[in-house]
Amino acid sequence: MSIKVGWYKLKSILGLSLSLAKSYFKTRNEGSYLGIFWYLLNPLAFFVIIMIMSQIISAKPEKDYQLYLFLGLIMFNFFLNSTIGSTKAMVNNSGFLKSIKVNPESFVIAIVLEFIFAHIFEIIMLGFFMLYFKVSLIGLLFYPFIFVFFVLFTIGISFILATLGVHIVDLNNVWDVFVRLLWFITPVFYFAYENSFLYKINLYNPVFYFLTIARDFLIYQKMPSIFIIIFAIIFSLIFFVVGLMAFVKNKNKFAERI
Amino acid sequence: MNKEIRLDVRNLSKSFEIEVRKSDSALHGFVSLFKKKIEKKKIEVLKDLSFTAYSNDILGVIGKNGSGKSTLLRILGDIYKPDSGKIFTNGRVVYLSGFGQGLNLKLSMRENIFLMGSILGLSQKDIRNRYDEIVEFSELQNFVETPVFKFSSGMATRLGFSVMIHCLKHNYPEILLLDEVLEAGGDINFKKKAREKIEELLKGGALVMVVSHELEDIKKYCNRVILIESGNIILEGKPEKVVEEYINSFK
Repeated sequence: MSIKVGWYKLKSILGLSLSLAKSYFKTRNEGSYLGIFWYLLNPLAFFVIIMIMSQIISAKPEKDYQLYLFLGLIMFNFFLNSTIGSTKAMVNNSGFLKSIKVNPESFVIAIVLEFIFAHIFEIIMLGFFMLYFKVSLIGLLFYPFIFVFFVLFTIGISFILATLGVHIVDLNNVWDVFVRLLWFITPVFYFAYENSFLYKINLYNPVFYFLTIARDFLIYQKMPSIFIIIFAIIFSLIFFVVGLMAFVKNKNKFAERI
Repeated sequence: MNKEIRLDVRNLSKSFEIEVRKSDSALHGFVSLFKKKIEKKKIEVLKDLSFTAYSNDILGVIGKNGSGKSTLLRILGDIYKPDSGKIFTNGRVVYLSGFGQGLNLKLSMRENIFLMGSILGLSQKDIRNRYDEIVEFSELQNFVETPVFKFSSGMATRLGFSVMIHCLKHNYPEILLLDEVLEAGGDINFKKKAREKIEELLKGGALVMVVSHELEDIKKYCNRVILIESGNIILEGKPEKVVEEYINSFK
């Protein structure tokens, strides 16, 4: 494939992904900007519940726990929503795949894009929280760089799930349980102190690396350890490449299988 | 006149493997691990099929349900992959099946035109250029901002047809594969208009392959017809003759 053809194909995949993502976003928002509230409701509700719980059990959270918790919740939510949505990406679009020659990558990327749009609003809300808790906003400038790698990782997982979802009809249920278990393993609402048991487990959990880097930059305004950064980059690139390869290798059979 | 070969199909075969079990669920798969091996049934849909089509041909494909007509067109449209055989195509191939695909009922008509246009491969700029024409043809100018779930089924068909047909023209197909789309639906006026558009498309100079159960249309528009039975071409020739044979096969 020449560079020109490759570029044209990439442009058409991204163009269609953007159109689909806009339609998913508008559909969920019921055509109103007030609808963005529905995207924010979930992390906000969890935030309130956990804050109340920590008061009830008299836990003494660390400094800026509110920001630590909210950032963890919105980042994990982005991963959770994108990947759960991708399990059905092919099956839900079987009508298109069987009747039009279309790039199926777009259906996966569109789901991730939809939650990137939502995440932008969550980050704006985080910015207001940071102002309220008198934390400098300078760390937010680094967030897009961290988020790019997190998105690559999420797209990679989404491609794998979309491919498997063609063969396993109830993958969404299986993944839903798995990802919620991961939610408890990942330090979203608790702290995994270095050398603790939970920390050691989380070294095998890619999501942990992205959360740690984002929290270090945004909330604590410190440089994360180079080992964490390198592993986050490696995880994101490996999952993206493996996911994309698995998807591209199998996509010719999708229309027949669904 | 010298006819240029647009499509040459040699020894095309396709089979589907159907697993004889109740479902593809993970739970069922897990339980199956403890059972004996899953039985698989192979269904041969196309068997060693060959034919040639030329520029300006309007080639009808007829046959009973399940004979392999749609699978043939989907393979030619690069939607399914063949198991074996060779396909030579000379020109841009477009496969079209159904007009209601892609309508998002919660979105407005305007948003749906842009969404369907994108799915059909047009850029936002191309869709903007075609937008007025699409709205005018559908005769739904007063409903541009109305969500499609408020449309009657006839209105939705009109919208779907208008977008499809205008986007299709934009793609300038040289090989056009029409899978049961000769009947557009809608009221009498719109049906007439839609029929004119389809005729325009059929006579536009592209090689057209038409799968249809509307035998009168096959006789009217096609210059050649192939009759498929159980994945084989059993007859090929003039429309009247092939259609007659096909009708006789039911007697």
